[in-house]
Amino acid sequence: MADQVAPHSAEIDSPKAHKGLIPFNVALVLPAQLTVLGVVLVPTLIVIWLAMTDWQPTQAVPWYDAQPVWYWNFYDLWWDDRFINAVIRTFAVVAIAITVELALALGLALLFLDEWPWRKIAVSLIILPMMIIPVDAANAFFMLFNDRGPVNDLISMVIGEPYTFSWLSDPTWAMFPILLCEIWQWTPLMFLMVLTGLMSLPQNQVRAAVLLGATPVRIFFRIMLPLLTPVIGVALLIRAIETFKIFDPVYIMTRGQPGGATETISMYMYNGAFVYFRMGYIASAALIVLVLVISVCLALSRPLKRHS
Amino acid sequence: MAKRKHSWTTALKRGAVIVAALISFLPIFWLFSTSLKPYDEWAEWPPVWITERPTLQNYRIVFFPEEAREVAAEQEGSLDYKVSGSAWKAFQDSAIISTCATILSVVFGTLAAYSIVRFRTGGENFPFQFLTVRMMPPIAVVVPMVALFSILRLSDTYVGMILAYTAFTLPFSIWMIRSFLEEVPAELEGAAMVHGLSQFRAFLTVTLPLVKGGILATALFIFILNWSEFLFALVLTSGNVITVTLQVANYVSASSGKLYGVQAAMGTISTLPVIFFGYIIQKHLVRGLTFGAVKR
Amino acid sequence: MTDAAKTNQHRRRFLKGTAAGLAGFAMAPGLMGRAMAQSPAIENIHNVAAAKAKELAGDKTVSLTIMQPSGSLGNVKPVGDAFQEATGIEIKYLEVPLGEINQKVLLEAVSKSGSFDIALPATFGIPDLAESGILVNLDNYALTYEPEGFQDGSLYNIGDYYKGSFYGYQTDGDTYVMFYNKPWLDDETEQKGFADKHGYPLKVPDTWEQLDQMMAWFHRPDDNMYGGALYRTQFFIAWEWWGRFHAKGHYPLSDDLEPQINNEAGVQALEELIAATAHLYPGAKTNGLFENFEAYGEGNKFANIGWGGTQKYLNSDKSDMKGKTAYGLMPGGMQGDTLLRTPYFNWGWNYVVSSVSPEPEIAYLFTLYACSPVMSTIAVRDPGGYFDPFREVHYSDPEIEQTYTPEFLATHKVSMRNSIPDLYLKGQGEYFDELRVNLAAADSGTKTAKEALDDTARSWERITRRMGKRSQEVQWRFLKSIYPADVRDKLS
Repeated sequence: MADQVAPHSAEIDSPKAHKGLIPFNVALVLPAQLTVLGVVLVPTLIVIWLAMTDWQPTQAVPWYDAQPVWYWNFYDLWWDDRFINAVIRTFAVVAIAITVELALALGLALLFLDEWPWRKIAVSLIILPMMIIPVDAANAFFMLFNDRGPVNDLISMVIGEPYTFSWLSDPTWAMFPILLCEIWQWTPLMFLMVLTGLMSLPQNQVRAAVLLGATPVRIFFRIMLPLLTPVIGVALLIRAIETFKIFDPVYIMTRGQPGGATETISMYMYNGAFVYFRMGYIASAALIVLVLVISVCLALSRPLKRHS
Repeated sequence: MAKRKHSWTTALKRGAVIVAALISFLPIFWLFSTSLKPYDEWAEWPPVWITERPTLQNYRIVFFPEEAREVAAEQEGSLDYKVSGSAWKAFQDSAIISTCATILSVVFGTLAAYSIVRFRTGGENFPFQFLTVRMMPPIAVVVPMVALFSILRLSDTYVGMILAYTAFTLPFSIWMIRSFLEEVPAELEGAAMVHGLSQFRAFLTVTLPLVKGGILATALFIFILNWSEFLFALVLTSGNVITVTLQVANYVSASSGKLYGVQAAMGTISTLPVIFFGYIIQKHLVRGLTFGAVKR
Repeated sequence: MTDAAKTNQHRRRFLKGTAAGLAGFAMAPGLMGRAMAQSPAIENIHNVAAAKAKELAGDKTVSLTIMQPSGSLGNVKPVGDAFQEATGIEIKYLEVPLGEINQKVLLEAVSKSGSFDIALPATFGIPDLAESGILVNLDNYALTYEPEGFQDGSLYNIGDYYKGSFYGYQTDGDTYVMFYNKPWLDDETEQKGFADKHGYPLKVPDTWEQLDQMMAWFHRPDDNMYGGALYRTQFFIAWEWWGRFHAKGHYPLSDDLEPQINNEAGVQALEELIAATAHLYPGAKTNGLFENFEAYGEGNKFANIGWGGTQKYLNSDKSDMKGKTAYGLMPGGMQGDTLLRTPYFNWGWNYVVSSVSPEPEIAYLFTLYACSPVMSTIAVRDPGGYFDPFREVHYSDPEIEQTYTPEFLATHKVSMRNSIPDLYLKGQGEYFDELRVNLAAADSGTKTAKEALDDTARSWERITRRMGKRSQEVQWRFLKSIYPADVRDKLS
């Protein structure tokens, strides 16, 4: 896969001394770098300041004049069950979603190894979900799992009596449609990644194993899966990062209701900052999340780096 | 015997594919099917799978609320939906913001990617700092962005939205375009420069044409991301600027609740360009969503 | 006149308005349909306001932008069009999602972008918005332009005021009203059976105790009959408890802001609410507003609670309850021999003026125009919009009567006049959500009633400390002083 690219020779193009103040190569990255600094680094600095205040717009002071409370927000967060639960819930969602996505993707990809007449069209159909706007997908799932929606209709047909369970209002089950929506939408991506990986496996080893009389199951687990590990690693990492941010389906389907039973980190922070207007407090939560995400990413970016 | 067993497993495999395709399709089918339903069938029990009285009224409400009102006035028991303005404004705003942000992101991204590929600018770790942008949850930066935008007077403006979208798609454009540029041998430019072209001219005349397909794919990919974005639009606008994803939330009525059919019509229309562009760049989608790490 | 004197005068005028409201409560239901006589000055105020706005605008090109919650364009636009016609001032509309409007108004306090002149936030958010500085204190404008007795015609205006100042006109009659299954109430066998068992006649209940007994009486799931369709979802549960608690004669907070919700009455109210859950239909725990009235429209449930929107649905062709509904005020409680009624106003939209607006005076004149008897009647007529009747004159408008039925309107009007307010304090969202979460936990059995209310009280103390106790005390004293006078005397 990535190794097939043409080698590029770095030697010939060390940047020449430039007439201007800024070297040519630095000038090229400048627009991108400045945009990122402006919209990411500056807000991060503001977050650090806000995290040490209890600023609320209802105090009628500008945010830069807010009264500092230093570390007290962090102390409160530690005892805030809603926050802790949201963190735990988010990690659970990530774990469940990416595991299920991977299992489904592997299973699906195995169905597409050989050539067959409608293969291309079938791939196109299966990857359709990832092309849908997430908000619209969430709306579709909202309707599917409505108490009078088609899912309940299908269940009614199976059990033979009317079934009108209100999935999204039940504290135990409300997370289920949200998870399904996420899995439905992103399994196709995982599938494409795994399929790409499978198709570019060296065929010799597989063929040799077949000749030696290995069973398909053994071939899959002993030869294909180990060779796929790097691809799966990248796929899981990228999906984990994206799933960690999960917001759109939660907002559309439940807004964290009932009783905060579906509150993920993003939803918790939205509710805190834009429903209760506790901007300073939520900035502290944001700071924690930023530190968490960046350190996890630094630790995990090695496989990605090795891969590219 | 072996052959029969083979055809049996094949049938099973094809059957599994059909089931998967059906599941992939069901929510989209429901969205589209609901968009054609008359008002009294939106939340009927048992639900109506395919309406026998298809109507374009939901689409009319989305685009021509005034005409829809006239049509409704003639129909007994029809929905009174004097509830929302036309969605044209949302499509227009989304188009402006997405297009501008895409162009900025791709131009900035191409320049930066070129610098990274050819000059190893900033060393090996430099490209990774852009990735952190994509790794942090947008909600964590949204609170300070509200504060920052308030002093810069960027809240609820095109410029503000374009800036935000540009920054948050840059990691994709840099990494994706980088992966295309890496496939072009540097020697080609070297040869051009021997003929007296400057480095930048060589890039423009030799390298760029070779990767223009890839850059176009990147642009479409980023357009899709921008068009589908929701959280920034939700927090950083307050009515002056409105995107297609936000407009969906505007279809409610006091006596009828969520206007399912209208929301579905809006959802169907707004998601069509995304599906269209998505299939155009189908073979680059994986590369895009994995920051160029997984190629075909 | 000094500003302080002006404010004082305005407040006196306003308090008189509340006192006048009491008369409505004592009136017999038969008299309700008749509109009170209004002075010609009030009748004509929309013309005066428009003329004044036109004069103030002069030769300038002035335009006003109204930020409104999605779904209310049908209420706002006809009035805006008429104003534009009358004054030449252009009216523009900004639409934001229904649940996001208070947030958008508040964020304007941070960004000061001037994107709107007038907004329609939910009433319970006025304290937060007033504290943030985004709302114009309208005392002086009201003193200058409001005709004598104007606010008397508005049946519920407690939410228009914060810490003694006026911030905007209420424009939606969101009081909680009860719905009962009339054929069941009128059934002679049921009447006899019920009277024999409980020793009093089966009729629209006066107290929560009676309601609970009637729901228990009619609850026969095996015969597909259910006692009630009251809400048990987290979002709604606190409103019913609020009514049950007040009916026992207590304020939620003491004068120095100590929570009283966890006193004996509070716990008892919650235990009764939980006991009543057993006599509700199965969807009660999960169904929101729309599912609720659709379920009640099936006709196999005895009691329901709701707003004007509920009645709009029940009175439509989609509902089997059309013409079969009896109406009642939210039940009360007995204090010795006297009945304490505490109807409850729990949503509402107020027209407010942005402090960033370059033309606050013209913007105020628009709000006066929009809430004038003539114009507000046009606004309320829209059957797809949110606005329910809120001024005297609406109750005799033929179109409005057709949408709601005269019987419903009679009850609605009495309810409006005597409604207790939400907890209009800074941080209302936090106070109430804390209550909601804990009440839902108690209802589902994860906490006892006492634990749930104790936990809420502890959180309330924390919220109060964070919001600033002094400042909250000022508003709480003021709010108590404008509870409906009849109720005020009976609460402690």
